[in-house]
Amino acid sequence: MSIALRDKLMLMVAVLLAAVYLFPLYWMYVTALKTGSAMFASPPSFWPSDPQWSIYGSVWQSRNVGRYLWNSFVIASGAVSLIVILGTGCAYVLARYRNAWVDVGLFLILMLQVLPASLMITPIFVGFSQLGLLDYPRVAVILAIAAKSMPFFVVLVRAAFMSVPMELEEAALVDGNSRFGAFFHIVLPLARNGILVSAILIFMQAFGEFVYSKSMIQAIEYQPASVGLNSFMGPNTNEWNNIMAYAAMYVTPILAIFVLLQRRIVSGLTSGALK
Amino acid sequence: MRRLLLSIRDGRGFDIGLVSVPLIFLFAMAGLPLIYNIVMSFQEVDMFSLGTFARPFVGFKNYITLFSQPETWPILGNTAIFVVASIAGQFTIGFALALFFWTGFPGSSWLRGLFLVSWVMPGLVVGAIWNWILSGDFGVLNFLLKESGLVSANIFWRSDPNFSLWAVVIANIWLGISFNMILLSVGLSAIPQDLYEAAELDGANVVQRFYTITLPMMRSSIGALVALGLIFTLQQFDLFAAITAGGPNNSSNVAQYWAWDLSFRQYDFAQGATISVIMIVFVMFASVVYVRSTRHEVRG
Amino acid sequence: MTLHQIELSGVNKYYGAYHALRDIDLKIRKGSFVALVGPSGCGKSTLLRSLAGLESISAGDLVIAGTRMNGVPPRKRDLAMVFQSYALYPHMTVEENLTYSLRMRGVSKEEARRKAEEVATTTGLSALLGRYPRELSGGQRQRVAMSRAIIRNPKAFLFDEPLSNLDAALRVHMRKEIRALHDRLGATSVYVTHDQVEAMTMADHVVVMRQGVIEQQGAPLELYDRPANQFVAGFIGSPAMNFVPAQVGADGRSVVLDLGTPHTVALTKSLEAGRVLIVGIRPEHLQLAGEADAGLRLPVGSVESTGAATYVTTATQPELVVVLNSRVSIRPGETLPLHLDPAHLHLFDRETQIRLA
Repeated sequence: MSIALRDKLMLMVAVLLAAVYLFPLYWMYVTALKTGSAMFASPPSFWPSDPQWSIYGSVWQSRNVGRYLWNSFVIASGAVSLIVILGTGCAYVLARYRNAWVDVGLFLILMLQVLPASLMITPIFVGFSQLGLLDYPRVAVILAIAAKSMPFFVVLVRAAFMSVPMELEEAALVDGNSRFGAFFHIVLPLARNGILVSAILIFMQAFGEFVYSKSMIQAIEYQPASVGLNSFMGPNTNEWNNIMAYAAMYVTPILAIFVLLQRRIVSGLTSGALK
Repeated sequence: MRRLLLSIRDGRGFDIGLVSVPLIFLFAMAGLPLIYNIVMSFQEVDMFSLGTFARPFVGFKNYITLFSQPETWPILGNTAIFVVASIAGQFTIGFALALFFWTGFPGSSWLRGLFLVSWVMPGLVVGAIWNWILSGDFGVLNFLLKESGLVSANIFWRSDPNFSLWAVVIANIWLGISFNMILLSVGLSAIPQDLYEAAELDGANVVQRFYTITLPMMRSSIGALVALGLIFTLQQFDLFAAITAGGPNNSSNVAQYWAWDLSFRQYDFAQGATISVIMIVFVMFASVVYVRSTRHEVRG
Repeated sequence: MTLHQIELSGVNKYYGAYHALRDIDLKIRKGSFVALVGPSGCGKSTLLRSLAGLESISAGDLVIAGTRMNGVPPRKRDLAMVFQSYALYPHMTVEENLTYSLRMRGVSKEEARRKAEEVATTTGLSALLGRYPRELSGGQRQRVAMSRAIIRNPKAFLFDEPLSNLDAALRVHMRKEIRALHDRLGATSVYVTHDQVEAMTMADHVVVMRQGVIEQQGAPLELYDRPANQFVAGFIGSPAMNFVPAQVGADGRSVVLDLGTPHTVALTKSLEAGRVLIVGIRPEHLQLAGEADAGLRLPVGSVESTGAATYVTTATQPELVVVLNSRVSIRPGETLPLHLDPAHLHLFDRETQIRLA
């Protein structure tokens, strides 16, 4: 078999695999557009005969999706800002040296990354309620998410810093920079790509966070979209087209960002962030 | 100390400052709760004593209560099944995809990116979608299974105790494929091409090259991946909340969901804390394995 | 029994539109050591890899030990290759590296181990069999790579610039070792290098390549004494040959070198009067002369002495490099008296750069 033919075949198989894999996403969008009866039709149709585009408008209104999305955005942005500010410097130092202290530091950071949110929520809830932080529910969630995701960010960004050669920093120091200057003006810009990619990933994770939000935000006007979706789905729900429409509106901003930055994200991850 | 503060802009104070602030934050937000959890598991906690720290110390009573309950061992069993099945599924499919895309046919790098989608989607949305797909009467999965002749009647994935856990497993495997695929792709591309050429000249065919070159050289990647898989699978909560909520009748309940349920639904905080301590032991073990697998890195 | 172990006839290779190998005809005798040498991008590695089967041939025939091998996969060709990076299996001990090929063919463990020990003794690696590649020095790794090839008893050995990663002193030592091993085993070897000194000192037969074409092939001294064109003349020999534009004199028996000022040198045979050409003179062939028999007197531009030899660059247009095999006290600005034997003149056509007989 010639190389060209083999390549075309592989491409076809790859497209097929991708189609199978992405089917759930497709199903979400399709279900949203179905009428009530089409949804429950058996056999289910793979393309809606009577697409209800208006469903997005009505769900947006009736479920106040705008407010939910805004809360998700606020929480995610707050968490990412906090993580980037605190985590970048930490990752830089952990990348710069390799001695017993750094090993201990890395180990501790990894240990803190492993604990499931559903377990940590208990003491955090109790602690926050004692501190009165639960009166500012979104802040509480931002702090909790920052603590949960920071280790992951530090590990990714540390790898980005490790790819900046030490000689550049040394040259900057010899040229008269302070350590801070060398870090801020030389090393940081070079690691910018890795930091950006990691920040985007953390943002997307925080945008979808559920456990902390559900446990700590009782007031409905502060709840993010994940909690909104969960309250939508009781044990006997059957308005799946509405649910899927909600889900689609929730997820599409993230998917849009992902598709636009897909190349960057993939290369950032494969170039050394995951070792 | 004073010298350290003076060297904040330049010198050791700089490094220590950059590291200590986040570490203090993490310690307060994650370390303290951990300790708090452990302490709480040895105390008697109720709604009223929630606000105080000094609660009556009851030793191992909570643990004994926990293990004497009938649902404990089945739930722990479910957790084990969930973890093993998820990791096995994610790993094999992820590895197969990584190998497939590693051949590097034109368009492979672009298409590979599509498989990352599950990583960025909120767990709850993934759960909601799979909930609908797995619906007993109207779900499309049952339709496809019947059409292809694999089953004859609808499987009630969510409400049949025999299948409820597997419903979440299926969704979790879908969710974890991207992470596995990426990590294994990185490991695969770290193997120098001329090793394969040398092996080929030495007489090894494709299968032999896979077993004698690829797999052994990926040992640390695979070790890291399985350890991370264990850690992340034990963290999986959103899917349970979205698909089965642990039911019916605890048939799809797992330790991490149960702990939350005990604390926030049944207000039995002490029991919740107790389970979390047990789980933390397992998770710590997995992270030690992870750290050991990734020991050899030096700055470039 | 065929005389030639490897035969390439009319071999061409294309990478898409790029013509990497053009009409290669090469016959390699059994037991000979052939060097493929040339600048980067000349196609020597491509040719070697095509022999191994790691690249495919677009046209032409490749015959190894009497069998046509076009399209045959590498593992069936029974050739062994020593890679530039050695390609040792990092997760296997030295012994496992050596026995890999045997294990792939189903040889028993005891038999494989016995053979490994045998080969290790030959290459001096017996003490290292239990070590891993990362614990070895560069020279030791090189020997493991070679031992791995030797243990297979292949139809031919292929070397892809095996010494480029070693330091200079080690390279000189390993050159001799490789050639000695080749002789001892009675092997057939194809050796790719960009270093013409390696090619000249190690090979029975040297193939000079440029841009996918074989410029000249033959015994090393043949290429040195009678280079077929200007490229080969300038490539073989160090320091490189000097090239001077010149014109045949009116009598047809001498040539006038254009060095800024004209200098006349006799020719060994007569040529068409007035013909323009390029004259090649090797630096070592310009010898220090006494005042009486100095055919050339050239102004000195710079002088470098290594103790054993003196390198003089003349202040002419173009400059000439002269290598004198003794210590000469001469300074820039002075005049250097030189003697040149007309038999050492190399004459090339100015347009085609081909040697004039």
